[in-house]
Amino acid sequence: MSTINLISTSYTWEQFTPTFVLVGLALLILIADAFLPRFNKKVFPILGALISTGLACFTAGSSASSLFSTLACAATAVCLLMAYDYRKLVYASVAGGEHEDGAAEFTALPLLACAGVCALIRSRDLIMLFVALETVTLASYAMAGYFRRNQGSVEAGVKYLILGAVSTGLLVMGAAWFFGTTGSFRGDPRFVLAALCNPHLSAGILVSMGLLLAGIFFKAGAVPMHTWIPDVYQGAPTPVSAFLAVVSKLAGFVALLIILLPFVYLRTTVNDMMQGLIVLLAVVAAATLLVGNLGAIPQQNTKRLLGYSSIGQAGFILVFFVTLQPTIISPVFNYLLAYGIATLMAFFALATLRMQRGSEDISAFRGLGKSNPRTAFMITVSFASLAGVPLTAGFLAKLSSFQALVSTLIRPHHVVHWLLPIMIICAASGFYYYFKVLRAMYWDQPQQNDAPVTFSPLCTAVLTAGTLLLIVLGVIPLLF
Amino acid sequence: MMQNLPWLFLVLPLVAAAADWLVLARRPRVAACVSIISALATMALCVAYLCGLQTGAPDSYVWFPVQGFDLSLGLLMDALSMKMMLVVTGIGALVHIFSLGYMKGDPSNQSRYFAGLSIFMFSMSCIVLANSLILTFIGWEMVGFSSYLLIGHWYHKDSAANAAKKAFITNRVGDFGFLIGILLTLGLFDSLHYADMAGHMKVEAGSPVLTAALLCLFCGAVGKSAQFPLHVWLPDAMEGPTPVSALIHAATMVAAGVYMLVRLQVSMGLDAFTETACCVIAGIGAITALLSALMATQQDDIKRVLAYSTLSQLGYMMMAVGLLAGEAAMFHLYTHAWFKALLFLAAGAIIVRCHHEQDIWKMGGLRRKMPLTVLCFLAGTCALIAVPGFSGFFSKESILEAAWERSMPLFVLGVVVAALTTFYMVRLCLIAFCGDARTHEAEQAQEASPTMLVPLFILAVLAIISGYGFVADQLVPYAGFHTSNAEWGVTFFAGLGALIVGGGSAWLIYGKSKTLSSKSDPVGANCVSQVLRRRLYIDAFYDHVLVDGVQRWFTFLISCLDDGVIRRLIGQGLALLTAWVGRLLGRLQGGSLRNYTVVTSLGVLILMLLLIIFF
Repeated sequence: MSTINLISTSYTWEQFTPTFVLVGLALLILIADAFLPRFNKKVFPILGALISTGLACFTAGSSASSLFSTLACAATAVCLLMAYDYRKLVYASVAGGEHEDGAAEFTALPLLACAGVCALIRSRDLIMLFVALETVTLASYAMAGYFRRNQGSVEAGVKYLILGAVSTGLLVMGAAWFFGTTGSFRGDPRFVLAALCNPHLSAGILVSMGLLLAGIFFKAGAVPMHTWIPDVYQGAPTPVSAFLAVVSKLAGFVALLIILLPFVYLRTTVNDMMQGLIVLLAVVAAATLLVGNLGAIPQQNTKRLLGYSSIGQAGFILVFFVTLQPTIISPVFNYLLAYGIATLMAFFALATLRMQRGSEDISAFRGLGKSNPRTAFMITVSFASLAGVPLTAGFLAKLSSFQALVSTLIRPHHVVHWLLPIMIICAASGFYYYFKVLRAMYWDQPQQNDAPVTFSPLCTAVLTAGTLLLIVLGVIPLLF
Repeated sequence: MMQNLPWLFLVLPLVAAAADWLVLARRPRVAACVSIISALATMALCVAYLCGLQTGAPDSYVWFPVQGFDLSLGLLMDALSMKMMLVVTGIGALVHIFSLGYMKGDPSNQSRYFAGLSIFMFSMSCIVLANSLILTFIGWEMVGFSSYLLIGHWYHKDSAANAAKKAFITNRVGDFGFLIGILLTLGLFDSLHYADMAGHMKVEAGSPVLTAALLCLFCGAVGKSAQFPLHVWLPDAMEGPTPVSALIHAATMVAAGVYMLVRLQVSMGLDAFTETACCVIAGIGAITALLSALMATQQDDIKRVLAYSTLSQLGYMMMAVGLLAGEAAMFHLYTHAWFKALLFLAAGAIIVRCHHEQDIWKMGGLRRKMPLTVLCFLAGTCALIAVPGFSGFFSKESILEAAWERSMPLFVLGVVVAALTTFYMVRLCLIAFCGDARTHEAEQAQEASPTMLVPLFILAVLAIISGYGFVADQLVPYAGFHTSNAEWGVTFFAGLGALIVGGGSAWLIYGKSKTLSSKSDPVGANCVSQVLRRRLYIDAFYDHVLVDGVQRWFTFLISCLDDGVIRRLIGQGLALLTAWVGRLLGRLQGGSLRNYTVVTSLGVLILMLLLIIFF
């Protein structure tokens, strides 16, 4: 996998084809919803999923940008399929369930957000990065608060909006400082180096980095910008939570890569100057790991649990960044892939349970091992992969995170000595809280009036594909 | 691409198992066909390779690189492994076909059964074809797992569920040793690949560390091949369906320990096997052979008699391994696989036709009811008791010869065990097949169905001819194997003497079986027989002393530790701490937006501070 090219200066139209297609599709769907009353509204999410799958295939390639685009489009497609499965609740929230009009935004918004992600992946300067990131964020605000009759959803939307505004402010401020100190919005290492070496400007570039990172940590879900995650994941409609957990997080990490790349290039030349950055990233990674993994332990609500889990997993991904090596792009992608598959599977199963058992608590999984053994097995694989059980992709992903820390820091760095124990503790605690779901499935007795849950063919198909992928990636060393 | 054809040995059964288990759970007939096709296909592939198909060395896959050491999986295709594969796939295919007849009309889920068989074929192929101890270990654990599934196939029966558990747990004991042994080997040889072991030893031959490593590896073999003192699981494993007993608990899996040790002997070189290690291996083998032959003389369950005889024959093989006669061990493994599979399958046919009656005292007169099956059983018996001309004779002879050359006591022991073997097998045949039917079920027995008879015939032919040079030289899983010419030496006469003594005494005691019943067993009343019948109280010792007694003490100790240190100190302390942290986090994460912004802003300030301080 090649690295992201920072120096190339010009954008081409072709690079943004997925963005244009997705925006066009979203507009078409909105227009069709408004002006074609006879049109079957159920088709929208399926159409959206099909087109984004097509885009995923279209963008597939070996460069880092195309890999991330493929993952983003594919994950959006899965979220849209989930939205299709979830449509009854969506219709109920829009028009009280009486008709199916006016729900097209629920398809159009993820497509717009995905368009933002695709643009973000191609962005090479702070202006484009900011615009693309805001496209994702604005669409996400609306999605999180989409169930406007549901208090939780509205609360989630508002919280996301306000905290998101803070982060946007930080990002803009950081970009301004960056421009002020380097004279460019482009992360060109030469300009950054010049600013770093100039005693009048070096503090300025540090401040700009701090602000930019803080703004992006919001999307990636890292401490201290993680506070929105549990509440918003819990309140937002399940497909939206899944989207935020996978696609939006991917956007955050890609933005982090783009921001940090100049420093990665400078790492070898001015190693000593990078210590502050390394320590900052290490502290953030450690705090993220601890908050995510320890916070998940007492959770009873599965969506909240997955929220904390997404913080904890972000901690493991941040460990790659601590090393500031140019080789981190592919392990970051692999980790996001393993995490994304397992998380989407978990949310997919959860959406079905939410609709049929009316609860999102861990106890909603009770007795699935007896009543739906095959689905229970697939859910087991997904949570086992999140926890990092060997023979699943999640294990190799976690292993690569450990290895990155141990092997690529140039000399044994003091960061290793305290970050590694924290990682071990957090990986271990993952086994506890992820396995609470498995315990509910296999050991908890079903209640008297529990009917077996019927998983739709769509859900079964997605779960099966995800299970196969997780096991194949975990057994055969294709990626890691 | 072509060079990766051998991976089919692993992929086919795995795919079949997955298909049976996941897709075909409701279509047992299709599931059976899928499994049988996979077994036949692997056998055909194996035959093709033995007939000279060349596809080059198969690729090995780096599973994942750990620093300085790549965990890679690959296949080793040499005479030892390929001919062993023929035994495994050949018997496997026959047992699959036999199972069709055996499981017909069985109310349990047959897809699960065939899935289990296919998983077993996969894992056994892993062990046989492994090019490193890692893949061997993976297969080792997987056969344990499939054996667990299949012993417990009728899991609604408590005895079957308990036997499955017992087999699994007993094997775990050995496997811990095996794992330690693998790590020691890695330390001693710097590699776990069989091909890299020869000549890369980091210590001189005969060093105690080497002995320790070998004995730890031998622990694994003790568990899997059911050697004393971990032999207790095998007789209980007979709770599984009889074809499973034939395939797993007689012919192939239990021989894996012998195979693994011979593989190590071949790859490490004979001089790596220290004298102490050899003494222990041969000694344990001999003790197992003797004790289980003794116990077999007083068993009433037809499958248990065969199970103890399997133990005793495995003891022979271990003895040969310990005597550094890997050739003889593999020869006996190979003949034993055919004739013991035959004996078990024939016993299975008898059991089915007697309406699942396994007590030999409730049979009788079967030679008139199902003559073909009984004839096959007799062919297997002749091979087992080493009647000259049958396959078992040649292989037992080669083991006795090895013992004669190297150790007199072991030779005497071997001859005694041979006599005992003849005694209990003749006893079994006389009681079950001669005289009159003792129960209504035995009265009604009929000849077995063709799907059962055909595998029996094939195995019977192999049980007779597989020992002769023209077959054995081609098929015995050992590089450069040659049958030695039969000589009228000491071993021949000793074997013949054992045969006559054992057979004669059994005939004298049980010859008039018409009037006998389990109550009036002429040698059943004395105290020695009682002790043997109770399996030398070894199982009882484990149950009462080890499990109950030791466990109670441990429970007491652990509960003290648990209650005092862990619960009071760590548990409650941690609980307080977590509760405190939780309250803190809860206060921060309580849903109040204002708190969130405070946390965020403070966090950003701290980040900036860090940047400035460490710059």
